[in-house]
Amino acid sequence: MHEMAIAQGILDLAIAAAQKGGSQKITRINVVAGELRGLVPLQMTYCFSVLAENTIASNAFLNLEITPIQGRCKNCSETFIVKDHQYVCPQCQSRDIQTVGGTELRVRDIEVA
Amino acid sequence: MKISVMTDILEADDRIAAVNQGAFDQHGNLVINLMSSPGSGKTTLLERTAEALRGKLRLGVITGDIETTIDSERLEGFQLPVIQLTTGSPCHLDANMIASALPHLDLSQIDILVIENVGNLVCPAEFKVGEDYKVVMLSVPEGHEKPLKYPLMFRESALLLINKIDLLQYTNFNLEEARRNATKVNPDLEIIEMSCTAGQGIETWVSWLVERYQRKNRKRRSA
Repeated sequence: MHEMAIAQGILDLAIAAAQKGGSQKITRINVVAGELRGLVPLQMTYCFSVLAENTIASNAFLNLEITPIQGRCKNCSETFIVKDHQYVCPQCQSRDIQTVGGTELRVRDIEVA
Repeated sequence: MKISVMTDILEADDRIAAVNQGAFDQHGNLVINLMSSPGSGKTTLLERTAEALRGKLRLGVITGDIETTIDSERLEGFQLPVIQLTTGSPCHLDANMIASALPHLDLSQIDILVIENVGNLVCPAEFKVGEDYKVVMLSVPEGHEKPLKYPLMFRESALLLINKIDLLQYTNFNLEEARRNATKVNPDLEIIEMSCTAGQGIETWVSWLVERYQRKNRKRRSA
């Protein structure tokens, strides 16, 4: 269950950013998470709500934006979305694909009151 | 009001991992983060590795489990520096746990340090510990579809060890399919087929380690 550690990371970053901005209440946290990270959204929200209790983020909405796995063909440079783990170039059918997206894991921004 | 953050969530872990890595680099330690499901053969691999490296390179082990010190007891007979971390509940090792083990380990007496992660194909892949390479082990009874089900683990690893190939005849595990699935997720993944109990592939694995160790130390000396 890596969700707990990740939720803690989100909370720490959000609180630090809010305090730096002189705010005492976080209303929303926007997180970008790549599909390869395998986060379970329901678990994430649960872990976050438990950890956020009695903090300035206790009523914050955790918004998870899941970004798809993106591949780049090493043969013809085509960039495409990888679905169902089919790492095959739609242009030239090459299987020599580099994963260029889908492992992101960052807090993009927060909204404060 | 919106405040832009744009910071990686595991940044704190990454930072500690970089400090660990600095300590390892200073001593020229080759560090392997060994990951797999429970029961795929990590500890048996370490036993075979200890035997094969004896008199050549000095092995050290940090082993992580949720409970018990059974793994470190198994390795006691090999007279290696072994640190057992019991995580209590976390299902993975992170950089901070490794940092806490380092004061108990004399890195100048170690050439290759294997960090045996908690048995789990999901969470350990998320956390850097300061390793040079992540190595994933998959055993035949687990099934050849695992790389597709747990893609991050296979994507992050440099080497896949397919263990228990002596059991192939008793299962419907398809080696070609396993290789295909693994390289779909990670085209650069190297693969070694082995049986830690029967001894197949151990030599190839040990050469892989020795070569990586030499490469790291050549670079270090010329730097």
